[in-house]
Amino acid sequence: MAQLSDIANEFIRDEIEEFLERPEEIERNLALFSRVSPAMQDIAAALIDGDDVTVDRLTRKALDGGVGALEIMDDGLIAGMGIVGIKFREGYVFVPEVLVSARAMKAGMAHIEPILAASGVEPIGTVIMGTVQGDLHDIGKNLCIMMLRGGGFTVIDLGVNTSPAEFVAAVEEHSAHLIGMSALLTTTMPNMAKTVEAFKDAGIRESVRFMVGGAPVTPEFGKDVGADGYGKDALACVELAKKLAVEVN
Amino acid sequence: MSRRFTVIGENVHTSRIVLRKGKRFAIHGGVEGVKFVSVDGSPGFLVISETMRASQAYDEGRIKHIALAVDTAMGGGDGAQAGYEYLRRVVVDQEQTGAHYLDVNVDEISLKLVEQRKAMEWLVGYVRSLTTLPISVDSSDITVIETGLAVATGTGDGRPMLNSASLERAEAVELAVEYGARVIVTAAGAAGMPSDAAERIDNASRMVEAALRVGIAMEDIFVDPLVFPISVDGAFGLHTLDAIREIRRRFGPEIHITGGMSNVSFGIPARRLMNTVFINLAVEAGADSGIIDPVMNPLSAVFAADRDSEPYRIAEDVLLGRDEHCMNYIRAWRKGALNP
Repeated sequence: MAQLSDIANEFIRDEIEEFLERPEEIERNLALFSRVSPAMQDIAAALIDGDDVTVDRLTRKALDGGVGALEIMDDGLIAGMGIVGIKFREGYVFVPEVLVSARAMKAGMAHIEPILAASGVEPIGTVIMGTVQGDLHDIGKNLCIMMLRGGGFTVIDLGVNTSPAEFVAAVEEHSAHLIGMSALLTTTMPNMAKTVEAFKDAGIRESVRFMVGGAPVTPEFGKDVGADGYGKDALACVELAKKLAVEVN
Repeated sequence: MSRRFTVIGENVHTSRIVLRKGKRFAIHGGVEGVKFVSVDGSPGFLVISETMRASQAYDEGRIKHIALAVDTAMGGGDGAQAGYEYLRRVVVDQEQTGAHYLDVNVDEISLKLVEQRKAMEWLVGYVRSLTTLPISVDSSDITVIETGLAVATGTGDGRPMLNSASLERAEAVELAVEYGARVIVTAAGAAGMPSDAAERIDNASRMVEAALRVGIAMEDIFVDPLVFPISVDGAFGLHTLDAIREIRRRFGPEIHITGGMSNVSFGIPARRLMNTVFINLAVEAGADSGIIDPVMNPLSAVFAADRDSEPYRIAEDVLLGRDEHCMNYIRAWRKGALNP
């Protein structure tokens, strides 16, 4: 098993030691960061620290030095965001800090995305996001969108008060396979079920995956309406999107 | 403070949670529950239902305690008394800490509107048996509001509040007339939430005019310009404060200006401090009411806050858009510099 001392970057070592509690997460991150190069550890550290200028500079430098775009994305940016996600879940960092790390992720992805696109590597996925019909709340949904974009997803934002037909049309127009539905009101939550039904009626339910979220939404409710997953916050949304993207790619 | 500040106590709300890792959670004889002290001083224990224990929210440590108490009391049987006592405690706490209205919301009791209406009717009836404070009937569904208003109507100061009417359902102001209720009108748009101060002012003004048109008196209108979390965007504080200033200027001294003040501190630490400073800034801008938890933010403490203290100024910088991403504020919190 990998040890803390196998990791070159002191900041990363401190992060793992100070903030990680669950044995499986400690083990996973020790294995991850002891495998990746010191340059990738530096990128991850800057991202955790929310330093977009440094992430921008180090990403460029790594690319110029011949490191692959996918390696930087997985071993630097996504690896760093994994730590941020755990710290947020455990209450060590707060919403503004997660947003600052997401901004740093975006700074790195700005270099990565064109290269991936040019080399024919598909983006990790396209997500259609919207607040369901009858509901005008969008702060949580917009947080999810920021984090998804930071995480390498292409996001089509349908805004608020999105009808089932609009979700179906957007999926067809953008050849997307992931749909995120948000609701803040118990009175509009049933429209999540109506949206899933609309996909069944259109005969394309099997080719897509539904994510649901929003303050009153529960995982149990998500199952009831036939969604494929529930995310309790913006970081959980990204985790879920990654998991579901694998199923439909 | 020249005019009275109207506190709309926000805690009789089914979305409210206590944490399993918090000090209110306990296990008595293998049974999990929420500890409380009854109004008569005796210890109480609200048992967590099987349904709630099976939920993932509970698994992740969140207990919807108000919803649990309502379910328990409405369920009848031997355990019901704990639900009644629990709610009595909440109502008495809100009243004793200075609530002028009790906001009652049962949206999260069930997804079925028929269940929500049943719970609203029951809860309003029960709260009325405990207090003479008027009730603010709060729901995202107009039929649930109507059900609540029908049983919340009293006389004189007992006139209820309708929470809320907005451009999305402007006709709700007519319901206020029908039940002799005061009304909260919000700055939500017909097709979306306002993105700045100007949209707030425009939407709210149209609602004020709609309320005046159906004959509601200026002093019976409470404008909610909408308060969004400062953690998400540093400009959100000024959007609301600028809107308050202009609405006060435009409609004069009689109209009331309120808002869900504690929304501002979602996603950041030291929420009590941030709420305190925001309420003060809102009052300086012209607000004279708040939908707040007076247990967490009693007015006496809110208005006694030392405006020259370092914590106050650090929080004020956040709210006035002078601390990008709350970085200085969070840093100060980590150093312990935000403690009173």
